[in-house]
Amino acid sequence: MIFHKIYTMHSKLDILWLSALACNGNAHSFLNYKDIDLFLQEFDFVYHPLLPSKYKLTDIANFKVECDILIIEGSIEKHHKIADTYLDEVISYYANMAKVIITLGTCASFGGIFAQYSQNISGLHYRQKEKLNHYNSFYNKTITLSGCPVHPETLVGTLYMIRDDTKLPIDEYNRPLYYYGYLVHNGCSRNEYFEYKIDKHNFGEVEGCSFYEHGCQGTYTHAPCNINLWSGVNSKTRAGQPCMGCSEPNFPATNLWETKKHMGIPAKLPYKIPKRAYLSLAGVAKTFTIERFSKRIFESDEKKDRVD
Amino acid sequence: MSNIKNQRRQEIIQEALRLFASNGFHRTTIPDIAKSLNMSVGNLYNYFKSKDILAQEILRYISSYLGTKLKEINETPLSSKAKIKQIVTIYFQTAQNEPEMIDFFLRVYLANRDVFDNGCEGMLCVNEFVTEIMIFFEEGVSNKELKNQDFFSAFGLFMGYLGGMVFLNGEKLLTKELDEYIDDISQNIYNALKA
Amino acid sequence: MKKKIELIEKIEGEAWLEYEYKNDYIEHVFIKFASSRYIEDILKNRPPLDALAINPRVCGICGHAHLIATVRALEDCYDSIYIPQKALDTRELTLIFELIQNHFKWFYLTIYPLVTSQNSITKATIPSQTASEAIAILAGQYPHTSYSIVGGVVSEITPLMIRLVAQKIDRLIAIFKEYIINRDLDEFLYCNKIEEMLKKEGDLPYIMQNIVDKNWQQLGRSHDRFIVFGKSGLFKSGKSIHTRYRQHIDTKYITTFTTPNSKAKSLLYREKFYETGPLARAMLNKTPLIKEAHRRFGDSIFSRILARVCEIPQLLLYAKQITKSINFSEPSYIEPPKLPAFATGTGIVEAARGSLIHKVEIKDNLISNYTIMTPTQWNLGNGTPNNPSSAQKALKGLHKNMPTELVFKSFDVCSVCTTH
Repeated sequence: MIFHKIYTMHSKLDILWLSALACNGNAHSFLNYKDIDLFLQEFDFVYHPLLPSKYKLTDIANFKVECDILIIEGSIEKHHKIADTYLDEVISYYANMAKVIITLGTCASFGGIFAQYSQNISGLHYRQKEKLNHYNSFYNKTITLSGCPVHPETLVGTLYMIRDDTKLPIDEYNRPLYYYGYLVHNGCSRNEYFEYKIDKHNFGEVEGCSFYEHGCQGTYTHAPCNINLWSGVNSKTRAGQPCMGCSEPNFPATNLWETKKHMGIPAKLPYKIPKRAYLSLAGVAKTFTIERFSKRIFESDEKKDRVD
Repeated sequence: MSNIKNQRRQEIIQEALRLFASNGFHRTTIPDIAKSLNMSVGNLYNYFKSKDILAQEILRYISSYLGTKLKEINETPLSSKAKIKQIVTIYFQTAQNEPEMIDFFLRVYLANRDVFDNGCEGMLCVNEFVTEIMIFFEEGVSNKELKNQDFFSAFGLFMGYLGGMVFLNGEKLLTKELDEYIDDISQNIYNALKA
Repeated sequence: MKKKIELIEKIEGEAWLEYEYKNDYIEHVFIKFASSRYIEDILKNRPPLDALAINPRVCGICGHAHLIATVRALEDCYDSIYIPQKALDTRELTLIFELIQNHFKWFYLTIYPLVTSQNSITKATIPSQTASEAIAILAGQYPHTSYSIVGGVVSEITPLMIRLVAQKIDRLIAIFKEYIINRDLDEFLYCNKIEEMLKKEGDLPYIMQNIVDKNWQQLGRSHDRFIVFGKSGLFKSGKSIHTRYRQHIDTKYITTFTTPNSKAKSLLYREKFYETGPLARAMLNKTPLIKEAHRRFGDSIFSRILARVCEIPQLLLYAKQITKSINFSEPSYIEPPKLPAFATGTGIVEAARGSLIHKVEIKDNLISNYTIMTPTQWNLGNGTPNNPSSAQKALKGLHKNMPTELVFKSFDVCSVCTTH
């Protein structure tokens, strides 16, 4: 996807941030962007749900505002109103005007949690994996940033790339591959336990991989959680929480803390790894008992801990 | 490896299998195999450094042979029930046409663990075969044809049953030809595994 | 009777206020929240543990409190269950950091611009990012972690992590002194003189002085009834009417009602509206400065704002104390037995805005019913003119030129929590 340079009469790009059915998680995640002050010197929010902005929501709903980029957060519910105007009209008006639309978060992208309530709730272009037609004319200028929430770097980096006319390779859902080309598995500190097929995983320990027993979806979930760490320090899977697949169209699946298995074989295998390849390697890896993996990382070989 | 050399390896494996089956694994020596092939003992050692290594190679060979056949079955669009029958058929056909193969599996591999301890631990040498069985089970459960259960409960039921029948056949205890059991046995296995 | 409708925004969503005036003074205000996200319905028929992943998504700013309430509700489903103290301490820490980040964001993004017409975005984001980092160290990420699970926490809590967290606490203490009030924390906690506070440097004295200068210090007085359900090492539970404290309260006396035009439930205790949140907690804890503010200005915006900001140093010092007492020889998690197939459980937590209560009912291993009662449903209920909610009462009698939005937002509205 290449965007043509956005020419504006002003030096900064104007962003309109619209909340549909949202928990505001993406808006708060964005506030975690370290250099937010520098960002705000280069972009303007004509509206943001938390930050001071040039216009009021009623101005937005009365079609008084101009924008270059439209960010939509939250699931889209038919007949939903914001400031007494149908959201559908608001979206159509600004989507038409905007050079680029960003569906921010899994709700706006695929419907997310709230879409599980009713068929009338969806993302802008998708309901889970199903492509919707209603806003189809805007599809080619939409960038999908899924995640619950989206890492602030994913949003800010994308906005800069849009501004700078950077070529943006994308996947089948229009997600930028610079971020979604990665799997959550990439960079996880527990990788060795996966590679050597160590099934055992206990919560509360730095050791072990939760793919085999506790439902980790990291090997088939597209997001850079372990590339761009959260708050620069950690990720869920590093901490020991299984990845819940929150950036994928089918989020949330059910029974999220348990690995679904067919005769002991994980029902979902790592992304695009053929079953035969996975099982052959797994069979070989399982053959070996590697003593190191049965030991605790933070335990000295003998009792050498300093207690003083 | 050159084609000629590869062909020679196959011949050694075939001959060793034959001798193991007729004379027993322990009573068959490397010189016996060499003699039977009109090779010098030294030359045979160029191919396999010990009898244990030859045995391990044979195990891989059998696993690969059966694995390839199972892979063909797995790649068909058949139902799990139909695949069970095909797997049983393949197994019994192999037992009849290449009896030394199954014989090796049952009498040498399962009975002489020490021979395979160093190099064929776990699934290392039977990986190709077991992987295909796993794929068969996984797809059966995934299509909701087979019951979701522990892998080894299902694997043991399937393979133990077939091995047992071949053993009984080898002991000449069966009253009918092995093929004639295919329908019943397939049905029994299916009944035990179906969802 | 004159009427006016106003849209209040940037409250984690929006709400409509329908004012009814009598001679330019507010007679009654209807509070309407327009949208709902149906979380309670979505939870039905799911395996109970899924609630741990779904419930933080009730709210982008206080999702962590929803996680802790969920895990407490699920653990309450057992007749008995042992949770290691280390896990309880860790949960307490991450919850504290969420409260702190809420307080800073609210003070600098909501209150500060309303009082001064100026913005100070980084004064909100720098401390809230520091608090987020502390949560991420322990819990993987913020917002929307589900690191707290039945039996403990998923992370192995190490001395290394706690050292990092302790440093974040020190950073927040430094930020508090630099931005909010230039005074030692201990000293500030024992301060009981409003004028002494006002004389110091910092944004808190600046804002409070502004309120006094504008003669707003008595605005927004409500029922003077306070309730706190969540107990912790810092907060006392109970209720307080004026200054009379009653320790014994029970969630069974909570009743709810809904009004046709709003998607929000209102919560009452023994048929009465109560205020929950930092002011309520300070009243029950008898925080010296808040007691004094209350004595002079009642439950006004002055006391409410001051109470919330004054909670930050209490939380920080409490967090520091926890980091010093964690027992690293304990496990972070002990695998519990399977959840009972049939059970009910209640989880209570003090969230930034007040008491948050989750109730779960499990039937045949699935959630059959889930109820979420949020602080905003206490404070911003939609009562009647004869029985107004705390926010409605606070607005009643205000002249139309008075800062109604400030009074309304002094409760800190969380629209998404209200209409989960």
